[in-house]
Amino acid sequence: MGTVILILHGLVTVALLGAITHQTLATCAPARAKPYSFFDRFRAVRGAGFTNAIVVLYVISWLLGAVVYLYFKVDVQPSLERDHHWHALGFFDLKEDFTAIGLGVLPAYWSCWHQPVDGRSYQLRTALTLLLAFIVWWAFLVGHVLNNIGGFGS
Amino acid sequence: MFNSMFRRFAFAYGAAFALFYALAHARGLALFTVYPAQGIVLLGLHRSRDVADPVLDFLAPEMYWYGWTASAAVGALVVGIVAALLPARLSPFWVWCAWVVPPMAMIACAYLTIPWFRL
Repeated sequence: MGTVILILHGLVTVALLGAITHQTLATCAPARAKPYSFFDRFRAVRGAGFTNAIVVLYVISWLLGAVVYLYFKVDVQPSLERDHHWHALGFFDLKEDFTAIGLGVLPAYWSCWHQPVDGRSYQLRTALTLLLAFIVWWAFLVGHVLNNIGGFGS
Repeated sequence: MFNSMFRRFAFAYGAAFALFYALAHARGLALFTVYPAQGIVLLGLHRSRDVADPVLDFLAPEMYWYGWTASAAVGALVVGIVAALLPARLSPFWVWCAWVVPPMAMIACAYLTIPWFRL
C-alpha cells in the first residue's frame, strides 16, 4: 500500500512541478510576443491559469506525502540511520519543514493570483511563486534522491 | 469587502503559519505526537525515551511533524481571523509579513537541521 501511495505522490508531484515551473517562468521571464524556441514556448503561458491547479495539486501531494511519511518513518528511516545517511536525513527534514511552510503560504499565493495587479502585488506574487517553486523543486529532488538511496521494497 | 478581508486573512495566515511552525519546531510545541509503528496518537509532545530505555527508542519512533503543523495551523488561524477583523489600513503590514516571514522561517528551519550535518 505504501508503494502505491508513494507512486501516486510522485505522479502528482511531477504534474505540480510542471505547472509551477511554467507559471514561475511565465512570471519571472515572460516570453517575447512571438515565441521561437522551446524555452520561449515553455514560458509563453498565461500564469494565472495554473493557480487553482497548483493549489489543488500541492494539497493532494502534501496529503499523500504525509501518509507516505508514516511508512518512511517505520520502514525506511531505520535503515538510512543504520547506514549513516545523516545528510540525506537532514535534507529530508528540511523537505518536511519547507513543504509545511509552503502549505501555509498557499492562501496568500492564491489571493495574489486572483487580485488585479499593481506594482507591489506583482512583486509579492512573483516572490510567493518563486518561494513555492523552490519548495516544490526541493521536495521533488530530495524525495527522489532519498527514494534512490533506500526506497520501498529495497 | 469580503475580498479585502480574505486578503488580510491570507497574508497574515501565511506569515503566522511560517512563524509558528519555526517556533513549534524550535521549542517542541507539538499539538500531538504520532507513533506510527503502534498506530497511536497522543496529545502534546511525548518522547518514548522519557518512559522507556533509550536503546529501545527504535521500537516506538515518534513523529512530531504532524503536531508542529497542527500547532502552526491553529495559531495562524487565530492570527488570520484577527488580521481580517483589523482595519484595512494595516494591509501593507500583512503583505510585508507574507513577503518576509516565510523565507526567514525556512532559514530558521535550516539552522535547526544543522545537527544532522554534524553527525
